[in-house]
Amino acid sequence: MTRTGAFPSRAFPWLLAGLFFSLAAIGLIVPLAVGVLWSLVNPRAGWFPPNLVPPSLSLANWRAMFSVPEMGDAAIASFTIAPIVTVLCAALALPTGYALGRRPVPFRRAIEFLVLAPIIMPGIVIATGLGSVFIRIGLEHTVLGVVLVQTVVVLPFMIRIVTATFEAVPQDLIDAARNLGAGPLSTAWRVLIPLVVPGLFAGGVFTFIGSMEEFVLTFIVGSPDVRTLPVLLFAYLGGRSQIFTYAAVVTIVLLAPTIMFLFLAERALKQEYLAAGLGKM
Amino acid sequence: MTEVLPASPALDISRLAARRRRDNWINLLLLAPGVGFLALFLVIPLAQVFLRSVGLAAVGQASRFTWEYYRQFWTEPQYRDGFFFSLWLGVASTLISLATALLFSALMQIRFPGRLLVSVLYKIPLVVPSLVAAFLILSLIGPGGILARLVFHWGWAWPRLVYDRWGWGVILVLVWHNVPFMMVIISAVMASIPLDILDAARNLGASPWAVFRCVTVPLSLSGISAATLLVFIQVFGAFAVPSLLESAYPTALPVIMQMEMMDHANWALASALGAVLTVASGLILFLYYRLVQGRGAGVR
Repeated sequence: MTRTGAFPSRAFPWLLAGLFFSLAAIGLIVPLAVGVLWSLVNPRAGWFPPNLVPPSLSLANWRAMFSVPEMGDAAIASFTIAPIVTVLCAALALPTGYALGRRPVPFRRAIEFLVLAPIIMPGIVIATGLGSVFIRIGLEHTVLGVVLVQTVVVLPFMIRIVTATFEAVPQDLIDAARNLGAGPLSTAWRVLIPLVVPGLFAGGVFTFIGSMEEFVLTFIVGSPDVRTLPVLLFAYLGGRSQIFTYAAVVTIVLLAPTIMFLFLAERALKQEYLAAGLGKM
Repeated sequence: MTEVLPASPALDISRLAARRRRDNWINLLLLAPGVGFLALFLVIPLAQVFLRSVGLAAVGQASRFTWEYYRQFWTEPQYRDGFFFSLWLGVASTLISLATALLFSALMQIRFPGRLLVSVLYKIPLVVPSLVAAFLILSLIGPGGILARLVFHWGWAWPRLVYDRWGWGVILVLVWHNVPFMMVIISAVMASIPLDILDAARNLGASPWAVFRCVTVPLSLSGISAATLLVFIQVFGAFAVPSLLESAYPTALPVIMQMEMMDHANWALASALGAVLTVASGLILFLYYRLVQGRGAGVR
């Protein structure tokens, strides 16, 4: 993994560390800190150029989270829809992942391509088709419609991860279970499912984050009636008057669980799941 | 006994056939939830996009075959410029991301203090939604952003980076978002290059830059091409970031599609533009598969 021979100079590693850490500071830490500051700006005093720090801080914008109905509603919508999408994806992906991972399936190439398609295709095109179909069957501007469209774009990650996990289960263990007298159901319940749980968990993390962050399809199919946090963020940033303070609050509410989830799941998120989830190999 | 013998192969064949039939049913049953869902909610809507773009399968209107919407796309400068603007965003941000990611991935192979921390930190943008990325970068480089305020204190003027004609603000956000994505793929491939090969090149007198150019890059080509393809197609169809940070004209094609759908309820024109976007992406995907054929495609 590490290459020491390529660069002989003693100072070079330190230069490299300096480069990467200053990049991280400018590109990551400063923007996040500015975001947090924006969420704490006192709305009476504001934060106008050329002040480098807000003149006074308050929690007024955070109180707005609970007093402004649109923010509370969006948070509730996001945190309701994401678990539903995750459970739905797990239920749909488990049998399909088993078939793709452990059985000789006909038309495998075509099925794999179908599963890859939503990852590669532009979301706006899928949104155009689904929006147009959903208007016809009366699912536009409904929570059910949003759950369905989000499932379309996050299900492929779940299927790919679950398939990779099923593929990795050694056949010996299944044979041993069968040899020792376990029936197919008992084998599935006591051997296969426990071995697949880590993959299912990793897939669940991907799906939950994907659902929380999904914007284009939710925006086109759901708004204006169903608004999740990203849709609200778009409204605060893209409107005629940008509301940076509220945008910062929504940003933090959106980012905090995502980053927390990522750290919690770091043990489960092995490189292979990451690769499968990112649509590569 | 002799009467039984001829019957036994036939019995075997019928038993085999029954077993194969049963296997097919089980496959169908297992695949139905996942594949069926995608067929229902991906294939049918896509068919709808293509039908609607030629005037068919519309709701509450007379269906009549027409190329009118495609003609509109090509003759009206607004739409054509949108297409080329999206193409520009895709090419520029992919090239910048690729150059940056290649350099950083190669540097990440070297041991330096704090390398583990950097390898965790650089992955954070992967989980940041693109809207949040747009907000963070806007508060950094926007007209009233923190950098503009900083250079104001030193008496300098900050260049206009967002809402500009060439979409540099959009490109910057997309690069910020895509460099870590490319680095994950490319560093994984680079880390799998045997150390001996690099040492041999160094031993034979190649400079570090020559090793990078003639050994490291060619050997990581599968990862590089896959990452490039995925990033380009994503940016080409990107809606949120261009919509927030671009100037009034030209607007990216996905933004035009959204306006046609939600502001003008012109689903047919939006479908035609979507079909153009899909066909262009499909063409690039096809070229990619032709180019990497036999070298092990990274995207499967």
